[in-house]
Amino acid sequence: MSRERILAAARAALGRSGNPDAGAIRAEAARLVAGADRGRPPRSGTLTERFIERLTDPKVGGTVEQVASLSGLPGAVRAYLFTHNLPASIALPPDPALTALDWAGIATHHRIATDEPVAVGLAACGIAESGSLVFHSAPTAPTLHNFLPLHHIVALDTAKLLEWLEDYATGPACGGRAQPRNVNIVTGASGTTDIEGRLVRGAHGPGFLHVVLFAGG
Amino acid sequence: MRANQPNFAARVDAALASPTLKTAIDRTTGTAERNRARAVAAWPDFQAARDLGRDIRAHVVNNIDHYLVEFERNALATGAKVHWASTSEDACRIVVEICRAAEAKSVTRSKSMLGEEIGLPHALEAAGITRVETDLAEHIIQLAGDPPSHIVWPALHKTREQVKELFAASHRDPGAMEDVESMVQAARRELRAKFMAADVGISGANFLVADTGAVCTVTNEGNAELTTTPPRVHIVTAGIEKLVPSTTHAMALLRLLVRSATGAELTQYTTFHTGPKQPGDLDGPDEFHIVLVDNGRTNMLADGLAEMLRCIRCGACLNHCVVYRNIGGHAYGGTYPGPMGSVLTPALDGLPAARDLAHACTLNGSCQEVCPVRIPLPTLLRGWRDRSWREGLEPSSVRTALGLWKFVATRPWLYRLATAAAVRGMRLFAKRGWIEAMPLAGGWTRHRGLPAPSGGTFMQQYQAQKRKAR
Amino acid sequence: MTRVALFVTCLVDAMRPQIGFAAISLLEQAGCTVAVPDAQTCCSQPALNAGDADGARTIARQVIAAFEGFDFVVAPSGSCAATIKVHFPEMFEADAKWHARATALAAKTFELLSFLTDVCRWLPHDARLPGSFTYHDSCSGLRELGVMAQPRKLLAQVGGLELRPLDGNTVCCGFGGTFCVKYPAISNAIVEEKARAITATGADLLLGGDLGCLMNMAGKLHRTGSPVRTFHAAEVLAGMADGPAIGESV
Repeated sequence: MSRERILAAARAALGRSGNPDAGAIRAEAARLVAGADRGRPPRSGTLTERFIERLTDPKVGGTVEQVASLSGLPGAVRAYLFTHNLPASIALPPDPALTALDWAGIATHHRIATDEPVAVGLAACGIAESGSLVFHSAPTAPTLHNFLPLHHIVALDTAKLLEWLEDYATGPACGGRAQPRNVNIVTGASGTTDIEGRLVRGAHGPGFLHVVLFAGG
Repeated sequence: MRANQPNFAARVDAALASPTLKTAIDRTTGTAERNRARAVAAWPDFQAARDLGRDIRAHVVNNIDHYLVEFERNALATGAKVHWASTSEDACRIVVEICRAAEAKSVTRSKSMLGEEIGLPHALEAAGITRVETDLAEHIIQLAGDPPSHIVWPALHKTREQVKELFAASHRDPGAMEDVESMVQAARRELRAKFMAADVGISGANFLVADTGAVCTVTNEGNAELTTTPPRVHIVTAGIEKLVPSTTHAMALLRLLVRSATGAELTQYTTFHTGPKQPGDLDGPDEFHIVLVDNGRTNMLADGLAEMLRCIRCGACLNHCVVYRNIGGHAYGGTYPGPMGSVLTPALDGLPAARDLAHACTLNGSCQEVCPVRIPLPTLLRGWRDRSWREGLEPSSVRTALGLWKFVATRPWLYRLATAAAVRGMRLFAKRGWIEAMPLAGGWTRHRGLPAPSGGTFMQQYQAQKRKAR
Repeated sequence: MTRVALFVTCLVDAMRPQIGFAAISLLEQAGCTVAVPDAQTCCSQPALNAGDADGARTIARQVIAAFEGFDFVVAPSGSCAATIKVHFPEMFEADAKWHARATALAAKTFELLSFLTDVCRWLPHDARLPGSFTYHDSCSGLRELGVMAQPRKLLAQVGGLELRPLDGNTVCCGFGGTFCVKYPAISNAIVEEKARAITATGADLLLGGDLGCLMNMAGKLHRTGSPVRTFHAAEVLAGMADGPAIGESV
């Protein structure tokens, strides 16, 4: 069996006689990342400022606006559709927090099309360090909504902004029963540099990422 | 997994003869080099981060048996199926069997160097399964029938004009393609329906997270998620060294990986895939398979190449290598080019076929200087040179010349006589200070002038001065 | 007085003795007594880089025996100095006795220009050479020994001499010891680009600290008809750059 062959070969190469000491290995692994700031980039400004600065960096390519509360999302979406000359029709995941909003003037549908022009979503949280949005797959949050549309408009509660990537990693959604099938950490619009090293947006995923920040609490 | 034909010298000549290759390489790797430098300059503690990266990866390699078992246990708990493959043949057979069991006609694939290493594209074709490469670069080289020439930008050897021709000849709706933007749009249109129609999606793994059983992929295009979400079956092929203890460790490595590769803080899409579709989920695969591939890695661990197993495939060593920058990826003849490839290929394809790779390096140390996990690449290349010497693979002309040199160099009196004679001899070929051609010096004089020795040797002149002074 | 043994290097010995005499002159100006041990030949790199580890060790033992009796060992080459300083201890990892001797020698071995600034704390005071120069940082000295600021600090003291920065100054020139003759086509592609960058600086002189790299670049500059003349930095610092440059006839 390959499994036994591989493990035996690894153990022989490592010069192990018995089973590895799992407790000691775990302790060593934890020690490596224990130093609070070991190997982290510098930071400045408030959490929200940092998030916005990263998200709107040309390398990341996101745009952002702030509204007072989630109920301001439909208005922001309407304005976005108007500005970008887009049809008043959006794919909306079946998330009660989104479907409960007043979408007057915009047709919404749950089933996303292969060539969906616009989808609106709600991020599980954000990461200031990298300007990232985090999405968890769930019955109310299909993964493809984050990848198929050309324009992706995402609402993010500023209370759910985290400082570092590690803050997400040690949170409740990593490991255990709460781990969703897919955790998508989305950092800006889709891009490619595969032809002559030139950055082009919208390779496969959304070509435009617009974040609507709201103060939840 | 490519035949080492024709030989290295011929491949190098072909690469250097290309009128476009050097420009194409410089465009992409030059941009990557500049962007990386900017990202590193903006992070004063980058060197400490590299130490952390090295330590995490070394810890995993030193405990790989433990982490394999932990990962398997946690992945099984999420509903994943875990397969083990000692060899590339085993791995391909497992993947093809899963595809056959799923009655797959069409398979989408998200770029994975491990897949290239084990020859998966060929195995799928041999099994009569339609393979759709979804990474833009992989799509380009699939159309061209080329192997990848870089581990991050597999199609960097193609110019925009060549890409346009390929798309025009094969896309259903290529459009005018007046610029790079419209070429990217053409590929988006072409691949969209294929993503949704595939029966199986195959991805690699950037990290396997031991304590959650998750598989982490990173892309800038979003093709990994479009490859792995719509089909009924998602297969991951991953080298056994891809493990990390936890998501926290993965995050620390992601910072280094992306900055080293492209100079960005994070790729646009970083996804942790954990098991199959969960109850109530509206999308995601019904089956989630992970194939853990050894293919020589445990041998590397036993043979003094443990440090190479730290590699996180960022490509920085390629971008900063003067040899790679001039000959490109195909000249190396293996799956992995550049410095990391020159260390890996002898381990994967055997030293006799890859002997040249260890030598075709100036040992300038740039690769080691940029490696995010501090792999001592020049030292490992020297290790292959030592082994090649010990195993008698070096040409007899080299052994004879070196033997003669050693005989002289270990006898200082003889060395004095020999160098004085050589200097006199060389000066016979000099014209106005330069030797433009001389027997045995063709390797030098074909391309550059050889400055003639300026007079007697230092030792002769020094002794003469000392005698005069007395 | 500090007793310094000069490791001449095989290339300086055969190809350009003046660099050796410049090194002696600079070391003496810096207050050292200089000896040139008779038993020296080569640092072992040809064997070491070919993979002949036993052969390299044989030569290394000869170097250690010939040089370990001095306070310092100085070479006008980052590459040869790095072989002694970095690689000798590695070569004897399995041999405790020789490892100790190699480590002791490594601790007192230096590349010439960094030795002058870092150990002797010496700077030239009356050197003068009107004109401009550009500088190539040879890889072994740069990455294995950290030689980069030192030659610039020394050359900044030379009256009338102005630095023209070189694009890609830390990029390998394609010499690589036997690499340049084993893989001449690749080496040529690399040095071609280097020569273009050197000529583009518009400098009168190309300076560096390693004769192998300098010969490689000078040879390409010569073939491409570039007006840039090449010297070892030590020659300029010792006031010996008034004669023929590398490759110019007397």
